[in-house]
Amino acid sequence: MGRLDGKVAFVTAAGGAIAGATARLFGAEGAAVCCVDIVEDNVGQTASDINEAGGKAIAIPCDVTDDDAIKAAVDKTVSEFGKLDVCFNAAAYSEKRHRLAEMPLDMWKSVIDVNLTGMFIVARHVIPEMQKAGGGSIINVSSIYGVVGAKERPAYCAAKGGVRMLSKSIAVDYAEDKIRANSIMPGPIETPRLLVRNPSIEAVIERHGTRLHQKRLGKPEEIAQTALFLASDESSFTSGADMVVDAAYTAF
Amino acid sequence: MGRLEEKVAFVTAAGGAIAGATARQFGEEGAAVACVDIVEENVKETAADIEAAGGKAIAITCDVTDEAAVKDAIDKTASTFGKLDIVFNAAAFPDPLLPLHELDLDIWRKTFDVNITGMFIVTKHAIPHMLEAGSGSFINISSIYGARSARKRPAYCSSKGAVRMLSKSIAVDYAEHNIRANSILPGPIETPRLLVANKNMDDVIERHRPHLPAARLGQPEEIAQTAVFLASDESSFMSGNDCFVDGAYNAL
Repeated sequence: MGRLDGKVAFVTAAGGAIAGATARLFGAEGAAVCCVDIVEDNVGQTASDINEAGGKAIAIPCDVTDDDAIKAAVDKTVSEFGKLDVCFNAAAYSEKRHRLAEMPLDMWKSVIDVNLTGMFIVARHVIPEMQKAGGGSIINVSSIYGVVGAKERPAYCAAKGGVRMLSKSIAVDYAEDKIRANSIMPGPIETPRLLVRNPSIEAVIERHGTRLHQKRLGKPEEIAQTALFLASDESSFTSGADMVVDAAYTAF
Repeated sequence: MGRLEEKVAFVTAAGGAIAGATARQFGEEGAAVACVDIVEENVKETAADIEAAGGKAIAITCDVTDEAAVKDAIDKTASTFGKLDIVFNAAAFPDPLLPLHELDLDIWRKTFDVNITGMFIVTKHAIPHMLEAGSGSFINISSIYGARSARKRPAYCSSKGAVRMLSKSIAVDYAEHNIRANSILPGPIETPRLLVANKNMDDVIERHRPHLPAARLGQPEEIAQTAVFLASDESSFMSGNDCFVDGAYNAL
């Protein structure tokens, strides 16, 4: 008996490390999963992993900033699996390090577009389906950098702070429809993406120094477990909450 | 297979509604549970419920402000069940509704004594056992009134604010020993204690109405489910967090 038996989940960035781990865990706990990602190969891999493990999944390559494509993806999820009651919003893009005054406007706009407007677009199409289903759970991936600042990442920080408040706004407006919305704020998580801006995982641990109290990075599976709790009915009175999964990084 | 298989939990206020539900849920998920409360009859009933359901439990009647008694209770837990991994700190004093200048110093002191010094005492004596076990999880009950104020409850609000920071302090200091500490901040929960100051549950909902977007109170079991997540290894990268379980009360 899985903790998400009978549920249908829509997962963005499902080709990535964190959302991929989440999609797999959702599938293992009994949910049917629609895996969405802009990179076709990756999202196909996640969906086939779920299917091979005995779960149910489909893959849809799709850009979260494309309103029509997202609507079509949501419609396809519902026509395939009958309804939609869980949404894990994880698509994100981060700028190259710049202080604000040196940042090109286009770079700012593309970060806000993917990280924040993409979540708005996904939410506006999944909410009507959740209303039809009689309830739902939206899980938005913010960041510890939606709570504290990071150096030279003004757009990312602003977008992730926006995600926190977007979740609370949905939580307040749709509580009467039994739709919950919560944010997860991951601390530094060990993903391939970290290696784009850092030479090695050890260098990341070194850079975060005394704030990484467990002296390690988090694992994608640890975010997935938090998402599972929020997706399940176990968290039925949890809405508008900031789930900080950072081993006390921001407590210090 | 329970989510807390092989774990040993120490639960204060286990004769009450929230901690009672939590102790029962811990037992159901496979933990051995030491149920602690100042009221002998209530705590015996919780322990008996767990055993009747096929779980393992002992009942200990004990005042959390009595250091020698708490030390004995914790040592008894470890000697009975072999170790200690989880502490659920929920003991709280039923303070009267009074503005600050009308509040007796004795009541202020009593509230702090139970709500926060009691937590210090329990934690102080639990930590050596967790160090020995190689890991542990503290779950401390704060309140939404540790994050925002309630009318005429200066001692309660400030003590619950202190709980949040005590959890973060433990999280930071003991992370290297794999000991985690998180707070749960419940919104209004349907417990018999609510009826001491209110005529009926509908009155409570009415009074809180603008901040209860789901138009209902939480159930003790919804706090218990959050505690299971925080007690389990599923939340292994989560520490120092304020887990609001308030139906978006604090989001508004």
